[in-house]
Amino acid sequence: MFEDPLLSARFQFALTAAVHYMFVAFTLGLAPYILFGQFRATLRRDGPRMRAVRFWGGLYIINYAMGILSGIVMELQLSLNWSGLHEMYGYAFGAPLAIEAMGAFFVESTFLGLWIFGWDRMGKWAHWCCFLVVTTTAYASAYWVLVSNGFLKHPTGISIEDGEAVIDDVGAMAANPSALLAFTHVTFSALLLGGAVIAAASAYHLRRGCDPDGMYQRGVRHGTALLLIAVLPTVISGGLQFIMYGQDPPSSGTTYSAEQIAAIEEGYGELSTAHALGISGDMVMMLSWALMLLVGMLSAGVWAFRGLGRWRWHLRLLAFVPVLPYAASVGGWVFRETERQPWTVRHHLTTADAVTDMSPLMATVSFSLFTSAFAVLGTVTAWLLVRFARLGPNAGPLAPPRVFDQDDEDGRTPVLRL
Amino acid sequence: MEIAPALFLTGLIVGYFVLAGCDIGLGMAAPYLARTPAERRRLVSAIAPYFLGSEVWLVGAVGVVAGLFPSLKDVLFEGGMWAVSTVLLTGWLMRDAGLWLRARVDTGAWRSVCDSALVSGSWLLALSWGLIIGGLLSGGDPLTPFSLVCALTVAVLFLLRGAAFGAERLVPADGSASGHTGPATAPEADQAAWATRVLARTGLATTAVTAALVAFPGTGPAVDRPLLLAAVAAVPATALAITSGLSGPHLSRHTSAVAIAAVPLLAGALNLPLGTPPAGTLLLTGGAILPVLPLMVVGQVALHRMLRRPADDHGFFVTPPPQDSQPGRTVPVS
Ligand code: HDD
Ligand code: HEM
Ligand code: HEM
Repeated sequence: MFEDPLLSARFQFALTAAVHYMFVAFTLGLAPYILFGQFRATLRRDGPRMRAVRFWGGLYIINYAMGILSGIVMELQLSLNWSGLHEMYGYAFGAPLAIEAMGAFFVESTFLGLWIFGWDRMGKWAHWCCFLVVTTTAYASAYWVLVSNGFLKHPTGISIEDGEAVIDDVGAMAANPSALLAFTHVTFSALLLGGAVIAAASAYHLRRGCDPDGMYQRGVRHGTALLLIAVLPTVISGGLQFIMYGQDPPSSGTTYSAEQIAAIEEGYGELSTAHALGISGDMVMMLSWALMLLVGMLSAGVWAFRGLGRWRWHLRLLAFVPVLPYAASVGGWVFRETERQPWTVRHHLTTADAVTDMSPLMATVSFSLFTSAFAVLGTVTAWLLVRFARLGPNAGPLAPPRVFDQDDEDGRTPVLRL
Repeated sequence: MEIAPALFLTGLIVGYFVLAGCDIGLGMAAPYLARTPAERRRLVSAIAPYFLGSEVWLVGAVGVVAGLFPSLKDVLFEGGMWAVSTVLLTGWLMRDAGLWLRARVDTGAWRSVCDSALVSGSWLLALSWGLIIGGLLSGGDPLTPFSLVCALTVAVLFLLRGAAFGAERLVPADGSASGHTGPATAPEADQAAWATRVLARTGLATTAVTAALVAFPGTGPAVDRPLLLAAVAAVPATALAITSGLSGPHLSRHTSAVAIAAVPLLAGALNLPLGTPPAGTLLLTGGAILPVLPLMVVGQVALHRMLRRPADDHGFFVTPPPQDSQPGRTVPVS
């Protein structure tokens, strides 16, 4: 595989992006729930509810760490492996990414830091506002990434000058239908995923008879509600994306003529492996959605009969639901990205021209290094998430500070303090 | 107006060196400054909240390079520079992973793995920044004698910044606030303060070697603006000279900042392919970033003010989960 840098670069990007997105999707799905929970806890000065916020917030941060690590690798990988993209489309494709880095991540990480360390050091509403900023910027970053990604699928708002793309219509760039449709679908599917995870973690604890201050009863209800709310908009916004199919981007013809484009697409053919992968991704996504709809309707029925959070078979079922939206999210992305082939920028730049001219050694080093780092970090993070979700509210990383009797790390007696 | 994006990028990179220099340098000095578990805990808690607010400057800078200065990337990823950039990224990942994961599992073995990742990641970062600066000045070859000495000098500057930072942050937090019953004095902080003078002298020596290499025919860099290079290089030299006569946090805090800020500015001696971002790109990025600029400033100032006090020895990055918790069982909370 490493003899073909193109193949290894494509495969590597797909792997990193999929891993990155799994963590990002949970971030996007969980943030509004924490925001809402903290708002209610603050409004009512409700200590027990605040403890639930600390529990979900702990999971959020563990997950966020991996979002950062994988995001950094993605950003560097785009530079390292896809230099063709930057040479000709840097000013157009890179601009939204620059905004994402500056306007969103910079602010997001800074305010998340304030939120983590500000628990007992700032006013309650100021503290809530920190998370408001975190949530807003998380969605802003998703939007700007998708503007950049939408540009690849449907380049609008640009013209080609001296073989270089320049933005000549800022509004068209920012309101690219491919980006807006994807943003809507990503938002609802992330909420679906968040709801499924919240319900599953809550169900796990309820099944063990653990429900401090009723936080998991609330969790299972809120999670199920979120799932029910998001399941239909997900299919509607997903179905709407099909209107982009078969549409030529407005800038089509400015780099290659219509005949050249047809020839390139002809040469690529229909029956490539990538295409087959994409079709399977599509099927996984739709099948998962159908199963989630089933679970949602079933849960609504259970809820109507007052069995939600009590019937053990249902709690057991809920604990496995998150597999579905995770599979659907990866499948959906594989579908979207392979569907663009053979183009990296549709009708402008082929994937073969976009890849950096790497020696097999470089390709091998970069691939094995980052893939193994990702395997280790992703596994550790997933394990930690499950572990802390199971440990419950008193053991989370944001649990109220415990005081140590001894200076020694080993053999000390933690004293719980609120 | 043309110069504004370049100034913005310079500001981000200088900000990164000045702020991240603190936590990277302290991470490098960890084996020397923190030997017992309690000392290591305090050291990590001095670094950990800080790095969150400082590495975003680099994330921002990378984004600005990607969006506004795409041709600059080639310089950083061509030839041997590619390998150095990969090492830099590896160091960054190792360090972050060590910091994020350290407190998540309560065993000594886990902590020592994370501590090693923190220390080696910090060294890799500092050395590869040195190689990048040296390599840029050597015309893209990071393996000349000049770049190697540059790497050494930059590593010393990072250490100095870390020691100056440690001299302030490693003082134990007020005993009553944290419930800490340890000693009221802080030998680590004193050690760090003492180290600033030694490091400043070492830095002065390596700077002298670097300067000698510049003068020596055949080994020096091929820069476009030698006078500017000399002028910028004189800044850290002066700062080091001042620090080498003194010890303690008061002055070294500022001199180390000045010294390390000069490192990325050395690249000003080169005609880097900046290019001029086209109007549409400037309009889009400017229009989106300028409105959030106040938020960036407010967030950074608030975060750094909150973190200015001496490090606590508990918190997200430091306190491991209780050992006695069983999955699913809840310990009652008073
Ligand atoms: C919980 C996750 C989830 C679920 C249940 C669904 N999707 Fe989806 N889908 C995604 C998560 C997702 C995604 C990962 O978020 C994608 C990738 C890119 C994007 O915009 O969203 C996506 C992409 C995506 C695309 C590709 C767009 C393109 O190529 O530009 C289409 C056409 C659909 N979806 C349609 C659907 C339909 C008709 C669904 C229901 C039957 C559905 N999705 C369920
Ligand atoms: C080419 C693709 C992408 C690149 C280059 C990229 C880059 C990054 C970077 C550098 C970070 C870390 C920021 C920090 O230090 O705080 C990050 C995190 C994040 N990314 Fe991406 N990203 C990509 C794809 C995506 C996608 C597809 C989405 C969402 C739809 C997304 C949303 C986020 C969010 C919300 C975060 C915050 C971290 C978290 O919450 O886990 N990114 N990304
Ligand atoms: C986060 C979820 C994402 C996943 C799972 C994903 C998946 C993939 C896959 C499977 C490929 C290989 C396609 C093939 O070779 O047939 C690919 C390529 C690529 N993707 Fe993504 N992608 C994601 C997000 C993004 C985003 C947000 C961007 C841009 C901002 C992006 C830019 C690219 C580029 C530049 C390539 C390489 C060129 C190409 O194959 O067309 N991807 N991605």
